[in-house]
Amino acid sequence: MTMIAPDPVAPDPKVERALTRRRWLGRLRGGQTGRPIWRQPIAVAALVILGGWLLLALFAPLIAPYDPLAQSPEAYAPPSATHWFGTDSLGRDILSRVIHGARLSIPLALAIVSLALLVGGLLGLIAGYLGRFVDEALMRLTDLVFAFPQIILAMAVTAAFGPNTRNAVLALVIVSWPVYARVIRSAVLSMRGDDYLSAARLLGVGPVRALRRDVLPNSIGPAIVLATLELGNAVLLLAALSFLGLGPRPPAAEWGSMVALGSQDLSMWWVSVFPGLAILTVVMAFNVLGDALRDRLDPRYAKGR
Amino acid sequence: MSVSPRRLRAGALALATLAIISTTACTAGGSGGNASGGGATTLTVNTSFVLKTLDPGRVYEATGLTAVHALYDTLLTFEGSDVSKPVPALAESYEASADAKTFTFKLRSGVTFSDGSPLTADDVVFSLNRLKNIKGSPAVTVSELSVSKTDDSTVVVTSETANPNVPVVLSMPSTAVLNAKVARENGAKDGEDAAQGDNAQQYLDTNSIGSGPYVLKSYEPESQVVLEANPNYWGDKPQFERVVLRNMDVQTQKLTMQRAEAAEISLDISGKLLDGLPETLQTSGVQDTVYFLFLNADPTVSAVASNPKFNQALRAAIDYQGVAALYGQGAAPGAGLVAPAFPGTLPEGEASTRDVAKAKALLAEANLTNPTVKFNYPAITYKGVDLGTVATKVQGDVAEAGITLELNPQPLTTFLDEMRGGKVALGFTPQSLNYPVADSLINNMAPGQATALRSGWTVERADPAIVAAGEKVIETLDLAARATAMQEWQRLMNQSSPYVVLASNSSTVVATADLTGADYTAAGWQVDVAAVGRK
Repeated sequence: MTMIAPDPVAPDPKVERALTRRRWLGRLRGGQTGRPIWRQPIAVAALVILGGWLLLALFAPLIAPYDPLAQSPEAYAPPSATHWFGTDSLGRDILSRVIHGARLSIPLALAIVSLALLVGGLLGLIAGYLGRFVDEALMRLTDLVFAFPQIILAMAVTAAFGPNTRNAVLALVIVSWPVYARVIRSAVLSMRGDDYLSAARLLGVGPVRALRRDVLPNSIGPAIVLATLELGNAVLLLAALSFLGLGPRPPAAEWGSMVALGSQDLSMWWVSVFPGLAILTVVMAFNVLGDALRDRLDPRYAKGR
Repeated sequence: MSVSPRRLRAGALALATLAIISTTACTAGGSGGNASGGGATTLTVNTSFVLKTLDPGRVYEATGLTAVHALYDTLLTFEGSDVSKPVPALAESYEASADAKTFTFKLRSGVTFSDGSPLTADDVVFSLNRLKNIKGSPAVTVSELSVSKTDDSTVVVTSETANPNVPVVLSMPSTAVLNAKVARENGAKDGEDAAQGDNAQQYLDTNSIGSGPYVLKSYEPESQVVLEANPNYWGDKPQFERVVLRNMDVQTQKLTMQRAEAAEISLDISGKLLDGLPETLQTSGVQDTVYFLFLNADPTVSAVASNPKFNQALRAAIDYQGVAALYGQGAAPGAGLVAPAFPGTLPEGEASTRDVAKAKALLAEANLTNPTVKFNYPAITYKGVDLGTVATKVQGDVAEAGITLELNPQPLTTFLDEMRGGKVALGFTPQSLNYPVADSLINNMAPGQATALRSGWTVERADPAIVAAGEKVIETLDLAARATAMQEWQRLMNQSSPYVVLASNSSTVVATADLTGADYTAAGWQVDVAAVGRK
């Protein structure tokens, strides 16, 4: 190869900056496939829904008409002007509980996905870069986790540690890191033989620095797309754990446990329908957004437009 | 290939004949089905099976008790919903000695087992000794009793300690009388070593050898138990030829009863689940279950929960009426530990009441600011009520007085393990009695007794007046006076015991409109299927 590359030892600061930008954000800045996200109505709708939920979560105490934990004698009041979404078995306002539920579900989903990305990403980088025995061991570990249905493994973990918010998050991180490890590892493997990595090694760049400077920026794109898709999944899994009584402790307003409360008597449909709709909209929005991002960033999956 | 007209005609004739025959067969089959399966002689009982055995010496679970009560007779029994006084069954009369230690039963003459052989005092002695000596779950009720016969129709039961409730014990299905000869032939033993030697359970699960109104037709513990009328029954024949106990979860029971037309009963629809059932169905229920909180009296477990002022404040902070409303139909706010179904319950007007100001004052007196206690409860639905909802209601109530409860729902087994460990600061549990006498509450929940010690409630930590009141109940042999003493004991318990009674609710028998006698009983067997008839 006789291409002229900037000298990695004494780089031009301008080029360096441009390269950094290109490494981290290049894949997000378009120029790949499909229309930009803001030109896709369905993706815009997803963004609006998510934005709405974020605002609700941020300003819940100001927006919610009642205290989400306040009980009243008006049990099982159907939706009306005073209680838009009705009340539950203890006379708590369901609208207020749904709004406050966003403060649990969305941040917890973000926490689950970021932690899983962190753990999975790190292990994926190590496996892909070091290869051989380490790769083999780590990938068999991911196989082990993949072998269990996610929700069953998460239930087992929470049941073992005791049901509360922290353990539910922990359990979901434990079941969801392997996908990130796989994705990052494959990205690393695909660039392992590349010249710039060999060049860096010849220049005496150690594995830690090489991982941080060259490998990570080039493999993070697919992982970010995956993370966006997985956010929806995290909301859903958290709600499922909570539905089974393994999530945040009562009386916390959590969507999954609210659905569970309503499922005891389905003739009071409003008790479970509204938190169910909340889960539905958030999960759908994350999925649509994740799809749009993937179309945009990953040509292999782009729809034929 | 051509077909001749003659052959065609013959073929058509054959087809027509075939059609006629099959139509007739169908009609015959259809009407036959209506005659036997249309409910004319079959009573269907839907229940969520809790069934391990039909061996009277070992039966302890609700569904088993319902069946055993129909298959076997006991010396005495209870009729309908009334559990206040046993009535004659195999014994036509009995006499109790003044010290409540010796009970003499005169057996009815002419009683035969379902195989036609006569029932004698030997059978009674054998059955009661077997119950005591095989040491199954129900043996505790007779552990202090011994039995002997004076002649073929007289049986004497003696108790080591004074126990005016022996007649009640001898009305329980586990004290059923078996055909001793057949039982022995099939491995039953009644000697002191019977716990090891008796292997009749398998036989008794699939055969009934009693004198009851029904005999066992089939036993499938996962799906159904079928009883058929006993042709040799000594008493009035039951109206239904067959009784089918069907295993069915409670939601399906509700759907089934909404569509049921005749001769159908459900045993598990209660509480809030009763809402929305058709008006035409009849219900029968008795409040036989109490729900209570237990605080730990041991300061090393919880300095807050063991504080007497906190105990008082917690009692005053709870909205008992509101809690009872969560239980739906047939519930009442908590009064005493004895459920309304049983002798010795506190009268209706004595239900606990709420006083938030008093609760706050008590907390201030004790210098408790924002006291916080972990609150354990089993995450289950019991008799149609989600215990989590009740616990959350209590948490919301006491929060208004400034008490913080950290809700800690647990799987039932975890909850029970922790409760037995005695380290629970505050817990919540339902309680039903094994047999319709409340004395067992004193034997378990009075200071220093087994259940009380799980709450760290030793005699030293208890008010001496409570200890004395409990002893008085046990010493009183006259049943009416005993009930009064029981009430006194509960009033004292409501002042300073670790138990806060929240509410009581009932189990319910739901029956189609055409039935009579479908009464719920708190005696253990839920409903006497032999007493169910048609209008």
